[in-house]
Amino acid sequence: MKKIAIFIVLILPIVSFAQETDTEDNTIFSQFLDNLSGNLETNAQWYTNDSKLGEFVDPIAEFDLRDEHVRVNSYLRLDYNFLKNFTVGLQAESYEPFPLINYYPEYNDTQIATYYANFRNEQLDVTAGYFYEQFGSGLLLRAFEERQLGLNTALRGGRVKYAPTDYFDVTALYGQQRIAFNVSDSDIFGFDANFDVSKVLEIKGVNRLNLGFSYVGKQEDFTPPVDEFDPDYEFDTSAFPEMINSYSARLDLDLGNVYFKTEYALKGEDVSFIPPSLPGTGVLEGKYFDGNALIFTAGYSKKGLGVISTFRRIENMVSTAERNAADISSVEFQFNMQNFNYLPTLTKQQDYSLANIYIYNVQPGLFLQNFGGQAGEIGNNLDVFSNFKKGSTLGGKYGTKFTANFAYWALLDAEFDQAESTYNAEFLKFGKRLNRDFNFEVRKKISKNWSSIFTYINSIIDKGVALGGNLGTDGDIKSQVAIFDVTHKLGKGKSFRVEAQHLWTKQDRKNWVGGTLEYIANRRLGFYVSDIYDYGNDNEFSTETKAHYYNIGGSYTKGATRVALNYGRQRGGLLCVGGVCRIVPENTGLSLNLATSF
Amino acid sequence: MKQFLLLLLTAITINVTAQETLPSIEIKTLDGNTTSLQKISKDNDLIVVSLWATWCVPCKNELDAINDVYTDWQEETNVKLYAVSVDDSRTVNRVKPLVNGKSWEFDILLDTNNDLKRELGAATVPLTLIIKNGKIVYRHSGYTPGAEDELFEEIKKHF
Repeated sequence: MKKIAIFIVLILPIVSFAQETDTEDNTIFSQFLDNLSGNLETNAQWYTNDSKLGEFVDPIAEFDLRDEHVRVNSYLRLDYNFLKNFTVGLQAESYEPFPLINYYPEYNDTQIATYYANFRNEQLDVTAGYFYEQFGSGLLLRAFEERQLGLNTALRGGRVKYAPTDYFDVTALYGQQRIAFNVSDSDIFGFDANFDVSKVLEIKGVNRLNLGFSYVGKQEDFTPPVDEFDPDYEFDTSAFPEMINSYSARLDLDLGNVYFKTEYALKGEDVSFIPPSLPGTGVLEGKYFDGNALIFTAGYSKKGLGVISTFRRIENMVSTAERNAADISSVEFQFNMQNFNYLPTLTKQQDYSLANIYIYNVQPGLFLQNFGGQAGEIGNNLDVFSNFKKGSTLGGKYGTKFTANFAYWALLDAEFDQAESTYNAEFLKFGKRLNRDFNFEVRKKISKNWSSIFTYINSIIDKGVALGGNLGTDGDIKSQVAIFDVTHKLGKGKSFRVEAQHLWTKQDRKNWVGGTLEYIANRRLGFYVSDIYDYGNDNEFSTETKAHYYNIGGSYTKGATRVALNYGRQRGGLLCVGGVCRIVPENTGLSLNLATSF
Repeated sequence: MKQFLLLLLTAITINVTAQETLPSIEIKTLDGNTTSLQKISKDNDLIVVSLWATWCVPCKNELDAINDVYTDWQEETNVKLYAVSVDDSRTVNRVKPLVNGKSWEFDILLDTNNDLKRELGAATVPLTLIIKNGKIVYRHSGYTPGAEDELFEEIKKHF
């Protein structure tokens, strides 16, 4: 508690001074300051015991023993710019006394987490230290940061980007992946090239034709595990893939109103794991499997109308910095840690609380010996955006904006021979359905001071995906959600917003109702209160009881600083940020978020 | 902890100046060309930059609201708005059809791996900046209904 008090005292001056910019004394010090920029983010939470949900419990047993109810995650980033082309910077991170619950437990200290030095001019960009990167759509490589999930997959090493002309660029990199405050025991090599054909050859009717090629290699030494029940047994390492080479090619074609994007990736042979309940050392011996992925996107758009369809098939594409993180029974797997490629869930990302209960989560991995076996997923996602003009029948006085989305995802159709540890997956056949989602949204300005958004979602999701468990065996959850969101402007920056939500389902926790009231006093200050309630929950056999998940809070924004305070009960379940999802426990408490930059 | 407090102290002492310099980090145009905020502000005296995402309801509210009055803004101040999408590869394909579907008139840029978002320290979107002659002169995060009017007042101050 004392540490936190110190922390708050230290932060206060930042909040008060962040806006005072016009000091024009030309001392060396102020020149130094001119070239320095940075930002600070602090997320603090005080977990309280809950009369309904029970005492606060940290899912990590070791942390739970210490019974720390107040947790603070902080990030301070500083960048310093000098001699026109050079930048150096660092990011310090603090998780005290422990990280917020649902963070990877190794985030448990205060340290300088990343640092870098960079040189950049028109053609050349050279970085030493930690860096972020993405090749193509990320099928082979993406190093990124997502603080809300505690993901930071920056690489520590070196990177050179070179763009000699405006139609050609290459990137070469080497690094070890950041894992909490350490780096991986493996080396990652990458090479990426992009060629803009349309800038070299004038092709009639072609706005853009881009070709791209990527290579990513991972080297990790292998020490054969010892079989507890047969210590003399020697693991045959002769064909073991310590080096995994992966390649991808992509094409991006824009013909004006119509455009296409496609990428194909081939991942080198990698190990497969055996569940701890089965005999053996946990690693499948002598049989190694390659993976592949195909994405095809086609779009059509003109003023007032946009349509886009993305087909994707992924088979055995999980790539982790250390191979053990791909083992379903590891802590790293549970926290989505150590992935160095990016395979996001391709469904529509919803904002409203009831729309986020039954959501799909991508299934990219090969599990030969788990469940009945699974090899990957296949499916399609379609979006339509349209705008009915002002004055038209559907448009009315202010115009109407309409969007619709349809998604269908299934397991790959594959046959597994678990005795022989082999499988065969069909190329373009859909296996068991995991998710079918249809939804639309209508945005309508009713009058000068009234506007509304109506959302409808109709979805079927496999129980195993939504709640955790075996896939394709426990049946589906069918649900419908309707949401009204109405905003009324009161003038002088004041406004009032009401959100009414309802979810219908006969499965799981049955029907839900929810609502939000929000009052904006001015551009800087706002308050809200919200609640969702599974009033239909009459499951005699369920351990879940009915509960109100209420929240009350407010936020204050001034210039580059934002402070938000919230008290309430969070529904557990699948939390997805970007395309990454994780199951989080229910919790109750007070949270404080502060972000500022300077 | 000690290191961190030291860093914080440094952060506070330097805090008399807010960030003014523009990041030189590369961002993409919808046509796949590379540019940066530095380059854009070289070609334009006064610009507004809004960081947004296809999945962010207040962001879309803000840009819808600005779109309704954008022609008036341009006539009066010549200001140009650049809407930088921070959508990652999960949703970035939605940007072009959404922008066309909504008939937005702004220039759209892509920050797919969130490099710019990180350099600007945008913990949340939307984040709105006014940039005059290569310096950030105004910064606001979040959107509340009607805030576009106050933003325009702010723009006029720098015109």
